[in-house]
Amino acid sequence: MSKHLIRMENEQAVIVQDGWAFIDDDEPLTGDRAVISLTRLLESKEDLAQFKGQLGLVLRAGTKQGEDIRDIQSKLDNLAIIMIEFPVYRNGRGFSSARILRDELGFKGEIRAIGDVLFDQLLFMKRCGINAYEVETSLTLEKFNKATSAFSDGYQPAADSLRGILWNRS
Amino acid sequence: MYRYDEFDHQMVQDRVEQFRDQVNRRISGEITEDAFKPLRLMNGVYLQLHAYMLRVAIPYGTLSGSQMRKLAHIAREYDRGYGHFTTRQNIQYNWPSLDRIPDLLNELAEVEMHAIQTSGNCIRNVTSDQYAGAIANEVEDPRIISEVIRQWSTFHPEFSFLPRKFKIAVTGHENDRAAIRFHDIGIVIKQNDQGEVGYEVHVGGGLGRTPFIAKKIGDFVPAEKLLAYLEAVMRVYNMLGRRDNSYKARIKILVHEIGEAEMRRLVEEEFTKIDARDVLSLPHAELNRIAAYFAPPAFEVLSAPFEIFEAAKASNSAFADWVENNVVEHRQEGYAIVNISLKPIGGIPGDATDVQMDALADMAANYSFDEIRVTHQQNLVLPHVRQEDLPALFVQLQETELATPNIGLISDQIACPGLDYCNLANARSIPIAQEISTRFEDLKQQSNIGDLSIKISGCINACGHHHIGNIGILGVDKKGTEFYQLSLGGSHDENAALGDITGPAFTSEQVVGAVENIVDSYLQLRTDDEPFIDTYRRVGMAPFKERLYANV
Amino acid sequence: MAQHVSKGARFQAVTANRLSDGEVIYFAGDNGWTENFQTAKIADGAEASKELLQAAMTDDFELLLLEPYLFEVIDAGNANFNPASVREVIRAAGPTIRLDLGKQAEA
Repeated sequence: MSKHLIRMENEQAVIVQDGWAFIDDDEPLTGDRAVISLTRLLESKEDLAQFKGQLGLVLRAGTKQGEDIRDIQSKLDNLAIIMIEFPVYRNGRGFSSARILRDELGFKGEIRAIGDVLFDQLLFMKRCGINAYEVETSLTLEKFNKATSAFSDGYQPAADSLRGILWNRS
Repeated sequence: MYRYDEFDHQMVQDRVEQFRDQVNRRISGEITEDAFKPLRLMNGVYLQLHAYMLRVAIPYGTLSGSQMRKLAHIAREYDRGYGHFTTRQNIQYNWPSLDRIPDLLNELAEVEMHAIQTSGNCIRNVTSDQYAGAIANEVEDPRIISEVIRQWSTFHPEFSFLPRKFKIAVTGHENDRAAIRFHDIGIVIKQNDQGEVGYEVHVGGGLGRTPFIAKKIGDFVPAEKLLAYLEAVMRVYNMLGRRDNSYKARIKILVHEIGEAEMRRLVEEEFTKIDARDVLSLPHAELNRIAAYFAPPAFEVLSAPFEIFEAAKASNSAFADWVENNVVEHRQEGYAIVNISLKPIGGIPGDATDVQMDALADMAANYSFDEIRVTHQQNLVLPHVRQEDLPALFVQLQETELATPNIGLISDQIACPGLDYCNLANARSIPIAQEISTRFEDLKQQSNIGDLSIKISGCINACGHHHIGNIGILGVDKKGTEFYQLSLGGSHDENAALGDITGPAFTSEQVVGAVENIVDSYLQLRTDDEPFIDTYRRVGMAPFKERLYANV
Repeated sequence: MAQHVSKGARFQAVTANRLSDGEVIYFAGDNGWTENFQTAKIADGAEASKELLQAAMTDDFELLLLEPYLFEVIDAGNANFNPASVREVIRAAGPTIRLDLGKQAEA
């Protein structure tokens, strides 16, 4: 199953090419866009300071326990992208991680959903502040736009611009 | 009761269209069953033994007459002429066709009903006290905050893929009819010395494989902070709840594993962060707007004597019995709370036919300000009936076989659908309930026994709430044969307790006799008029156990 | 479901629920799927059972049905078979407490 990348740019969904490469923990950092693990980001300082390219993080959802985005709070300024993993669609930890990144930590870079990303989760992801989606190519732009416009409003505030029906009424 | 505005209508309509599209994509093969299953679950569509099952939400168990009429129509036009009221105040239909469900949901939307989030790993129906707004000494009508929570939790983008299902219950009275201590979040509405209202938040209760009583972590959360507090609980759960083992994925396991103090600390920490951003502070205007929907109806000012009522009680012993067992004192003089038993002797607990539902809709319109409630015990309530109307209402209930005078008595059992319907069941529960009901049909005998709750589950998932029955019956599968394990001493109310298992399980031939033995023991052991639960608490398991296994 | 996993089961059949209406159906081999358990294809032995389930799960089976699985049946003599578990007996007939509903009512 091949995948492609859909990203929100100026409020529009577009298909883009990806320039990021995931670098294993024991491989040296190369290229101009390197995605690393949370462990590496937290532990190896030297390595990172010398890297001239852009840095990204992949956040693992885990099963029994997941990675906590707050652990790298202080490093957020160094990151251009955070890829939030949804290993299986049922594992919804990433929704909270995305919201914390936007609402609490004020992250302005790209938050990308990777893994098992389903059509019917896209609107929820968008509302939680995810603005890029690695999905199967069968999920066309047309389908993406249909999924993310299924609801015109929301009851509660999240990480998007909706205030929430409960608040809009007043 | 709450009425949708254009926002609520739009959300439900959007959802119906979304689901229609999902069903079409499944039928056309565009999505697999694996991808479709969580979607249909979030719309209350289960696969059961014989057919699909649709669970329709009845928010905090409150219905209008026209909604009940629509439920009757659905039963007739889309199902096999009946529905089943559940232990979470919802209704279930056992025979809908998947391809017709979008149309069915459309019809429900016409009367402001839906099947949203009645299944799946999301926040489910918020349940409450069936006597809300009618019972004296209520701190606040719990349906107000229940409606607020309902809206906040609907299509919540962050909490729709939780580790497991999430159930919230609210009570506004010191007598907890909503079993809040057995919910993932249970809320007790309190009042402080200054007369201010606050919400006491309990977390981590639940039944099933590993039952737990919830722990109090929020002492007195003010109304405007409650959503932020709940969001904090949900976020802690969503992040830390286990996803490696579905039997250990409920919040009750998390609370058990990290402890009450740590849970409280994590929630407070999260709450502080959320509250600092202020976006979840509920505006007073909106709270008041919602509260207005739950203002008392236009009660007449009535005063004793209530001659029609008194005369009927004196002359009609059936009516008198029914009043004694099913009618509860209302906060408003001259009115009464009427319990309607869906437990006819030998009948299927919780089921109602379309004819009965239509009749109830009429009765609600004529006698109860057009309002009906669903209880956790699979019964119904007409909350605001004039005492002087009770005799006429009673006649109509008798005509529709809804006048069984057994509320709270031994034949007022809870039984899950069990192996007759359910994919998860190990044993049948309904036939056991029917047999017990028939064995104890004599009303004098039942009255003598007094309050005694029997709760029957067909499997460990405990939809029949067997853990919290005074007598609990759990169906188990031993080498392909149905066996029944008994427990004693459970209690769902503010004196929350989990039942103790008596010992080895009984066969389906033995179990009813075992229940009789328990009742006989109780009648011999009780002092004064103490109810079964008090006797059990006083004497313990030993005498019951001895009697049960005497001939084994 | 624990009920339909039988160690040492000799005879087995394949069942599922129809996608459109959830009706219980049985795999009848070359004859496709049937609503009537009596015309279900019976496999003798573990190998044959595995093959039967595979045969039932054709490429587009999801267009017709969901959750197909094997379940044990017992030889009742005279080329008749009965489901082994209470669960499958109930599935083949209907709810025991409503004899007017399910397949038993159409019989």
